[in-house]
Amino acid sequence: MKRKLKIYLPFINAGIQEVATYRVNWIFYMLGNALACFVAYFIWAAVYRSGGGGTMSGFSMPQMVVYIVLMFLTGTIIASDGAYVVGEEIRDGAIAMRLIKPVSYNATFLFQELGNKLPTEIAIAVPMIAAVEIIRTVLGGAVQFNITCLLLYILSCVLAYLINFYFNICFGFIAFIIKYLWGANMMKNAVIGFLSGTVIPLSFLPGALEKVFLLLPFASLNYTPVMIYMGKYGGAELLYFLGLQAFWALFFFGLSKLLWRSSVKRLTVQGG
Amino acid sequence: MITADKLRKEFKKTVKEPGLKGSIKSLFKPKTEKVTAVRDISFEVAEGEILGFIGPNGAGKSTVIKMLTGILTPTSGSCTINGKNPVKNRKSYVKEIGVVFGQRTQLWWDLPLRETYGVLKEIYEVPDDSYKKRMAFLNEVLELDDFISSPVRTLSLGQRMRADIAASLLHSPKVLFLDEPTIGLDVVVKDNIRRAIEHINSREKTTVILTTHDLADIEQLSKRIVMIDKGSKVFDGTIAALKAEYGQIRELSFETGTPNAVKTLDYTGHFKLGADDLSLEGEGKSVKVRFNSAAVPVSDMLSYTLGKISVSDISVKDADIEEIIRRLYEQGVDG
Repeated sequence: MKRKLKIYLPFINAGIQEVATYRVNWIFYMLGNALACFVAYFIWAAVYRSGGGGTMSGFSMPQMVVYIVLMFLTGTIIASDGAYVVGEEIRDGAIAMRLIKPVSYNATFLFQELGNKLPTEIAIAVPMIAAVEIIRTVLGGAVQFNITCLLLYILSCVLAYLINFYFNICFGFIAFIIKYLWGANMMKNAVIGFLSGTVIPLSFLPGALEKVFLLLPFASLNYTPVMIYMGKYGGAELLYFLGLQAFWALFFFGLSKLLWRSSVKRLTVQGG
Repeated sequence: MITADKLRKEFKKTVKEPGLKGSIKSLFKPKTEKVTAVRDISFEVAEGEILGFIGPNGAGKSTVIKMLTGILTPTSGSCTINGKNPVKNRKSYVKEIGVVFGQRTQLWWDLPLRETYGVLKEIYEVPDDSYKKRMAFLNEVLELDDFISSPVRTLSLGQRMRADIAASLLHSPKVLFLDEPTIGLDVVVKDNIRRAIEHINSREKTTVILTTHDLADIEQLSKRIVMIDKGSKVFDGTIAALKAEYGQIRELSFETGTPNAVKTLDYTGHFKLGADDLSLEGEGKSVKVRFNSAAVPVSDMLSYTLGKISVSDISVKDADIEEIIRRLYEQGVDG
């Protein structure tokens, strides 16, 4: 294990340095996300105003604000562009350069991406959590911070990231068949945006549909961590959803191994 | 050391009919055709040998290298290197080899070179003291000092290629694969790189397989060449054997002031040559003659030419690799 860490730690380092090289790109990326967050806020504010300001599907307006901010935070924390990176490497043949190294292909991506993400996570998580707590205190009238919820939220985010990462890797391997992934990626993002509760909370959906969606891996991405932080899950329910997350993480981890083994045979290395 | 047995690689290629209609058609019902990039190539390489792999563009050289390095899975046939199968034991296999693709880099684009080597050191589990010694050695052979602190993306092509070769040698591999290591480089850098490869081969008995378009690479480095064209092996032997067998082609080119110079010069009649031994092309003032110097000595060619017409700016040079391959085909040689 220690040996393995020593091999893959440099990839984290390489990832961090990559971000450091393209700082401005990073700032724009964050600004873009924040803007999307504001748009969501104004839409929901309008919905609640016309609805008379009461509680909708278990969400009061202040809770909805918290939900939006947390969704934004969680989305950023668990983001993975594995599908894009894998697809690109397959398209331009750079994947060959990873194959000639005595390391696991998936693991190098995981650690390089962690390196890419760590600065982001630290820079955004602390102020965002503080912002959420201030909003909750001001709108709710009392301090609602709960350290257990925060710790469980972090655990849930780790699981969610692993699901997202391995799901994306699996998705990226489609590029072995269709060679260029941009279009498929757009479709995937749109579908996930809906199924993961980023667009509307899943509890707004009709009962049967909500149950189905909650079982799907996408609810485990954004929705579960946010609900945990907001204290909506407790006891057996909490354990159930964390277990479901762990199941999906393992599922996609296994699937990615399987897909890798069968698809590497189809590799053609385009160009050069 | 290296055994390739009937290696074969087929690709599926989508064929698009021309024009907009063709594009739409291929969107719904893509037509594919099978392309055979490598056809049943077999060869062996002994330990410590430098093997030159040559052939025109698209001959399948890179595909063979990619199969030998475990990047591509052969459609049929097999290769064994050091007793290992590149695809089946990929991780343990690639620890023993070094690979350089002249047209790609294995270095981290955004990292300073020094850190890239640090990453590679961990990946290949090179101990600290041997890493230090190795770096000092590579530094001496490839002169990395000037740019070792610069990010890889800022390196010039020549620097990058030297850095890439150093990266492939860091873990003292038993086999080194070089796919066009001198592509796009100037004469001085080319020479540096050749000397470095030679040095490492003689010092460490590293087996080297190298593909190139530059005959000088081959002549300086390898005793043996394998030539392939359209996916098949057309020659396997030493350079001396190649030249003895297919004639030493030279190219004589000159500028002439004599009108109708091409008609005045009757090489085939004068030297009684066959059609295979000479070809003549003239465009206005400049004339090119390719001839077999085993059939006609260069000096005879020169004195005959200079005696017949007035000439300025004359030169004689070795024909390039494409020319030899072209002649191989004209003579209908295979296998």
